[in-house]
Parts: sequence; C-alpha cells; structure tokens
Amino acid sequence: MEKSPSRLTRLYDWLDERTGVKQFVHEALDEPIRGGARFAYVFGSVLLTLFLLQVATGIFLTLYYVPSSDHAHASVTYIQKAVPGGSLLRGIHHYGASVMVIVAVLHVSQTFLFGAYKKKRELIWISGGLMLLLLFGFAFTGYLLSWDQAAYFGTKVGTNIAGEIPVVGPLQQRILLGGNDLTTLTLSRFFTTHVFLLPLGLAGLVALHLFLFRRAGPAGPYHERDDKQVDLFYPKQLFKDTVAIGLVFAVLVFLALKVPAELGPEADPTSDYLARPPWYFMPLFQLLKYFPGKLAIIPTVLLPGFVFGLLFLLPFIDRREERHPRRRPFAMFSLVLVLTGSLGLIALAKYEDRRDPEVSRKLKAQEEEMHDFFSAPFEPQQIGTAPPEKVELAGPVADPPQAYVEDCADCHGARGEGDSGPHLIGLVGKPRRSKDDLMKIMENARSYGLKKPMPKSFPEITAEDKQKIVEWLASLKAKK
Amino acid sequence: MSDQIESAEVTSTGRRSFLGILAAGIGAVITAVLGIAIGRFTIAPAFSTSGEAVWTEVGPLDEIEEGKPVRYSVVVSQNAGWGRFNFQRPIWVLKKGSEITVYSAVCPHLGCTVNTSKDDFICACHNSKWDLSGKLLGGPSPRGLDTLEHRVEGDVLQVKYQDFKQGVSTKEAVS
Repeated sequence: MEKSPSRLTRLYDWLDERTGVKQFVHEALDEPIRGGARFAYVFGSVLLTLFLLQVATGIFLTLYYVPSSDHAHASVTYIQKAVPGGSLLRGIHHYGASVMVIVAVLHVSQTFLFGAYKKKRELIWISGGLMLLLLFGFAFTGYLLSWDQAAYFGTKVGTNIAGEIPVVGPLQQRILLGGNDLTTLTLSRFFTTHVFLLPLGLAGLVALHLFLFRRAGPAGPYHERDDKQVDLFYPKQLFKDTVAIGLVFAVLVFLALKVPAELGPEADPTSDYLARPPWYFMPLFQLLKYFPGKLAIIPTVLLPGFVFGLLFLLPFIDRREERHPRRRPFAMFSLVLVLTGSLGLIALAKYEDRRDPEVSRKLKAQEEEMHDFFSAPFEPQQIGTAPPEKVELAGPVADPPQAYVEDCADCHGARGEGDSGPHLIGLVGKPRRSKDDLMKIMENARSYGLKKPMPKSFPEITAEDKQKIVEWLASLKAKK
Repeated sequence: MSDQIESAEVTSTGRRSFLGILAAGIGAVITAVLGIAIGRFTIAPAFSTSGEAVWTEVGPLDEIEEGKPVRYSVVVSQNAGWGRFNFQRPIWVLKKGSEITVYSAVCPHLGCTVNTSKDDFICACHNSKWDLSGKLLGGPSPRGLDTLEHRVEGDVLQVKYQDFKQGVSTKEAVS
C-alpha cells in the first residue's frame, strides 16, 4: 500500500493540493480535549445536528406548505395525512423543536455546572444565550404555521402578551401581527421570520459560537486532578457525540412514527377554544395566573428579562476562577432553583388543569375533537367553484322529516339534491359517512373537517330528530 | 501538553478506526433514513394523477355561433396536492350544422394557447398553423390540433376536457 498509494489516496492528495483539505480535517478532528472525551460534552454537537435536522426537514416541508390563512391548514393536513414520508418529516420537525429546547437547557446547564463560561469564554456564553433566545423565537413563530385551533389561539395569547408591555407594547404587537388582528399577514411574517430571518441569525451565531469555542479550546474538567489525560476530538469524542446524536435521532423517529405530531381542526376564530401553550412556555403561562392586570408585566417582561439579563451578565458578575461546583454553592443553588422552579410550574399548570372539572372537561373535549379530525381521511380543499355534480335519485323517496325541512333543506335541497350546500344523495355508506358518523357530524361538524357555514353543532335538533334525519338520508340512493 | 497529545494519538491508533467506522455507520443510518423520507416526500406528486376527465358543460347548443371557431372556457377540476382546483381552460368549438368539433386550445408543440387568424388556427409562439379541420399546415407542431370528446345532453354541449402529451406525433392523454 505504502509503496504504490491507492487511487483513493492519490485523489485525496490531488484534492489536498488544491483545497488544503488535509489541514481542514486536521483542524476539525484533532482538537485536543483536556481531561479526555466525555458524554458530558455531547450536547453542543447534538444541538448542531438538531439544527441541521430542522433545516433539512423544514426546507422540504415548504415543498407543500402554503403560508396563507386560506390554505395553511389544508397544506399541513395534506403533508400530515397524504404525502408519503410527510408524517415522519413533520414529526421530526415538530418533536425536534421540543428536543432542541431540552438539549439546549442541558447544554447551558452543563456549561454552567462546569463553570465553562468564565474567563476567555464570556463571548461563547453570550452567543449561546442569544441562540437560546432565537430558539424560543423559532418555537413561537413555528407554532402558528399549522393554523389549527391551538396554533391560532395560542399565538393570539402570545401576541397579546407582547402588546401588554408598557410603552412599546401596542406598536410592537401591531408590527408582530401586521395590523390589529391575527390574519394572513401575521402568518406571512411569522413564516418569513421562521424560515428566513431566524435561521440566518442562528446560522451566524452558530458559526461565531464554534469559532470562539475552537479559539478558546474546550474548558475541560473543573477538577484539575482530572486534567491529566488528553484525547483528540477524533475518534473518542466524535464517537460519543455520534452515539448521542444517533440516540436522539432514534427517539425523534420513534415519536414521529408512534405518536404523530398533533394537528387539530382548522382555526375557527368564533370558537371558544381553550388555549394552552406548548410545555416550554408553560412556566410563564402558570406565572401569569398569579399576576393579574398590570402586574402581568412581572412574569412576561421583568422576570424573563431578569433571568436572561443575569444569564448574559453572568461571566462578568461571577469572575472568580473557581470552577468546581462544590465550591460555587450560590451558583448551584440558582441553577437548581431555575430548573426545579420551571419544572414545578409546568407540573402545577398541568395539575391545575386536571383538577378544575370545567377546564379538564373542555380540554378533553378539544382533545377528542382533535383526534376525530386527525383520524379523518384527507379531503382536498376546493379552490374556485366546482362544476355542479349532477346526481339523480334512483327512485322516489319518502317526504323528509320535519327537522330536515327546517334545518337542512335550505342548503342541501328539499330532496337532498343540493343547493348552496352539497347534495346528500348516496352519502350514507361513503367513507366516514356511516349512520354513526352522520350522528356525530351533527354533534360536531368541524371534527370531521367540515367548515362553515355547516354549523358546529345542532343544539336545537333533538337526538330523536337527528336519528330520523339520518334514516331518511340513508334512503337517498343515487341513480347509477 | 504537546507530548500528551502525541501519546493520545499513539494510544488511540488501535481503536481509532473502529470507533470511527462505528460513528460513520451511525451517521450513514441517519442519512439514509432521512434521505429516503425526503426522497419519497419530494417525488410523490410525480406519481399522482390530477384526476379523471369528466364531462363539463360548454353551453346551450343553439347559442353557439355557426360556421366559425368560437372560443369557450370550461371549468376543469384538477387535483394538485392539498387542493382540488377548479380552473377555466380554453377550447375551440366549431359548429357546422349538426357537425360539431371541439379542439383543445393547447398547442401540441409546447403548450401555448392556440388562436385563430383569418381561416386558420395559429399558435403565435412558434408559428404553427392548422386548418379548421385541425390538420397541420406548417410550423414546429408535431401533430394536428387535439380534438376533445363531446356530447349533447338535452340541448347543452358537454365536453370531456383532457390534457395531451406535448411534442409527440400521436395524441396521448395525460392525467
């Protein structure tokens, strides 16, 4: 081999002469890691991979996604229910967001625990803090894009919180929304922010973060006696990083396949949907309950501002060189306080929702509505006016029940032949249109993907009348 | 420090390739899973159809002008991903007494819209020319104008709108 180098080696040499690839690989892989490779150091690499994974899945989701309030929900439903691989890609993107928050918290905690933000590493820490803020920006803007009930009402609350901030609030809210209400313009600007502005910002910060990190070198263990062994990044640390990345990826794929990313019925601004934020915003949500009226500024602005302010200033406040956690009791206490406090608030929010019978009933009903919608087969959205479908009755039918005449005939025609609404001939027996389904549709049309003006519920029709209507509909057979 | 690094390099040579191959393997699995999902996701529409051709109404027969081509628009429903799009498509109707011919106004060459000029059909994009019977008179079009199936229900002219493969000498429906 050594005497006559293989073709691959010759190609590598050829490339190296022209690109300097060997030097680059050397720089990338042969970084010394004081104290040896550790699983404690994997979080940065995992985060970088997650970011790339979000970029890859996100780019391809836009092949079908339409950032318009008219079509956003239809396009996401299509991705989720109809496109091969769509549920998997959307699932990875959906769960990837949550996992990124978790791993970011672990990464920050590890850096904090090891005192790796001190001397020479202040800017690495600050660029990391900025990235954490961008991460929440991603979460907030991405949440709206599906335009389902949770997205719409969750974002409504979120933008209202932004509007409550004194002085700058109202203008800030109008800029966020693109007007005075949550409209298709809001969706467009959230989309642009989510897929162009934030990724550009984050990519830039990642580059800066990595550059500064490589320049300063890894901080290494906090205990000097552990300093003896030195590994190179390749292969031990790279292997540990890859194992962690593989594990996280496996979890994402498993979740995406087993528990597909949620998608509820399309946003209906007239409904009384009970909005609950995703788990990572839940601590703030819970705190909001304790600060009514003008005091709401405490949990929405002052507290997060204080925590992030402290985070950014930390390397300048805590200037001692001591890195051992045991000798930094106050720092450790703060870390535990923030983490357990956040987890506690999330648990408390969940607990209170379950304890309040009214709220828990409402949330449960919403969940059922979501599952009904989710399990319904995909129906393409009708664009423009469809040419009228000519369907004729196979034979004479009995007169419709009185309830049909009063509540249905105006739109669906005196004999179910259709008018402003679709015809109902031959309806019973179609997929998801059994007699049971039709009873349920009259309970809640939206969970079957039906839209206005089909009423959401028919409270004025008695169960007995509904049964009569369904029986009569079953008699409407189409002529072949 | 520097001899520590070297010693690390020396001691790790044995496991070096093994861990490296394992890591590369994990990376390959991730890339494959993601690549296959993205690949299927991306090419899916290439294998879907826009829907079967159905009869759509052109208009009342006796309102169609006699003896010369008249341009109409028919509503065509087309499946495209998340939507079913009901769009208008141009056609040419030629009525001579009881004889009716319906042409697609899509040029068989590259798909521009066919127009009339004096007593001929022309496509101004690349100067293809047909006579009123749809026969190719000149230009780059590979075939005559495509006729569309039609029928008369009651007194209403109906047409089955279809798209045909472009650039080939035979008329082949595509969906």
